[in-house]
Amino acid sequence: MLDLASRTAPDGQPPMLRRPGTPALIRAGVIAVLFLFVLLALPQLLSLYYIDAMTQVAVYSVVALGLGVLVGRVGLVSLGQAAVLAVGAWVAARLLFATTQPYPLVLLEAGVITMVAGTLIGLPALRMRGLYLALITLMLAGGITVVLATTNFPNGGHGFLGYDGSTVHIPAIRRPSIAASDPAYFRYSVLVAALMFLLVFAHIRTRPGRAWAAIRQSEPAALAAGINTTLYKLWAFALASFVTGVAGGVLAGAVHYLYSIGFPTQDSITLLAVVLMGGAYSMWGAIVAALLLQLLPALLNNWGVSADWLTILFGIGVLQVLTTAPAGLADQVPKDLARLGGLVAGRLRRPAPSGDGSP
Amino acid sequence: MPSWLDFQPFIASGLALGGVYALSGVGTVVLYQATGVVYLAFGAVGAMGALIAWSLTNAGVVGWLAWLVCVLFSGAVTLGYGMLFGPPLARRDPLVKAVATLGLTLVLFGLMDLLWTTSGGQSRAITLPTDNGGFTFGEIQVTWTQVIGLGAGVAIVVVTSVFLRYTKLGTAMRAMANDREITATLGVPVRRVEAAAWLGCGVIAGVSGLLLADLVALDATTLTFLVISSLAAALIARLRSITLTFVAAIVIGLLHDLLTPIQSLSNYRDMTPFVLAAVALLVFSRRRVFSASREEV
Repeated sequence: MLDLASRTAPDGQPPMLRRPGTPALIRAGVIAVLFLFVLLALPQLLSLYYIDAMTQVAVYSVVALGLGVLVGRVGLVSLGQAAVLAVGAWVAARLLFATTQPYPLVLLEAGVITMVAGTLIGLPALRMRGLYLALITLMLAGGITVVLATTNFPNGGHGFLGYDGSTVHIPAIRRPSIAASDPAYFRYSVLVAALMFLLVFAHIRTRPGRAWAAIRQSEPAALAAGINTTLYKLWAFALASFVTGVAGGVLAGAVHYLYSIGFPTQDSITLLAVVLMGGAYSMWGAIVAALLLQLLPALLNNWGVSADWLTILFGIGVLQVLTTAPAGLADQVPKDLARLGGLVAGRLRRPAPSGDGSP
Repeated sequence: MPSWLDFQPFIASGLALGGVYALSGVGTVVLYQATGVVYLAFGAVGAMGALIAWSLTNAGVVGWLAWLVCVLFSGAVTLGYGMLFGPPLARRDPLVKAVATLGLTLVLFGLMDLLWTTSGGQSRAITLPTDNGGFTFGEIQVTWTQVIGLGAGVAIVVVTSVFLRYTKLGTAMRAMANDREITATLGVPVRRVEAAAWLGCGVIAGVSGLLLADLVALDATTLTFLVISSLAAALIARLRSITLTFVAAIVIGLLHDLLTPIQSLSNYRDMTPFVLAAVALLVFSRRRVFSASREEV
């Protein structure tokens, strides 16, 4: 089990009990306002370049959310989530070329098919734990990369694989008719992402979430408490693969053309890196992770800085998270800000020693 | 089905590849046993060492000096990582330690992409002087580099086994594999023993990086992720047995290259290590045992 907080944060509190004083209503209101701002105002403010980048952020926030469920909630580290995303994108692209089904239905089907595939990958998780699971998923990711390099992504050809190497004019993967333009598709993907977040939120707040928390703390204890650990671990894999598959479907429409070279093995590693940096224990962490993974490269590209610096930064970030800040940026930044705020407020009001500023 | 003649040239190359996989696999196993770290940056340091050697040779440095720099670089980076991040992570879960080495992998990977850009499309190659010479065994053409590849694999198994069995340092490493705390209590300087293991692993990474750059390709991505193949061999041996690692590595290397002439499977031959390791892990881990000891995996 990946217990990031085991040694470095003796005061680490369970994520669900964080900020107990904040009224839930205010938080829900803040989230609703933020959501409406992203949905309505953001496409008006941004250029097409950044709208495309933000669509990617929406897609990858769902992928990071799925990995966050595995890593942060259940304590299973998967190094193959980018490969699962590629599978979802492949399935969606194939369905979109083969059928005229409405887009939401295709997304659902892509999610379900990816879920079946991901659960099959998850089956070894029932036998393997911790380190071995991480390594076997890394190998599966490598294996899927090899298969995809040979089969390629569907490009409107016939047959099961739907790939025709001789096609000169490759048709674009279609988008839903209500969201053909880039800003509209951005709104569409934000809506889909929001639905996925709600789905995961519903899981975390109910029985599966509690079971996962118990498993993460101690699997033998969870077993002794009568929790069907096999079922719930498999459930986590199924949920993570489902949302990742749906994200793959959104990705297929967002980029129009898919190439296997766009899904290298190192993406799975980078993905784990940003999820750990963003914070695996919080759902905000998934959004931070997606911003790191997709918005930062777009910004750097705009400024003419090589994206390789980001890879280096992510590497340093992983080392920093694992050694000093186990809950990631989503947890660390508010804490640091609160501490800073407490410090400033303490200086301004009275010369008393500043408190620790915990929220 | 291709004839026997088609397979012949791939026997030598497969054995050589297997030998280098064995080299890296044994390095991984020994480091894991001594420190509890699965060193996933193994391929990346080797790749960077090989790229540095390539740049040096291009700048007119003598071959042997460039290769020495490659090996020293890998050793130094690995030792540095071990000294810097080994102690703070020493008491953490093996999984955390392994993921931390992925951090080093990303740093090295980014650096390699930055310093040796691949966008230009120019291909790099390291040629060892042993490529040209060789001999014919039966009807199979064998180069000296291939002999070195297999020889290095065999040598590492023999040397490591003897080293672990008969030397004081080797005994200390075996003791630490059993229990780090008790070993420390007995007066073994655990930090120094760990440092030796890190340095040894780094040197092996440098050597296998050079050999793989010659036998396979000098490309950052390829070399970085070839570590997965040698890791597969180490995993089949459950990160424990050196002999089993060697056997698994040879099988992986041979099978990988022997699939080349078979048309329908040729494109999928890179999956050999993954498939073999996945099957082996599934078969071996049928027993589910819960225990509270640190040795559980």
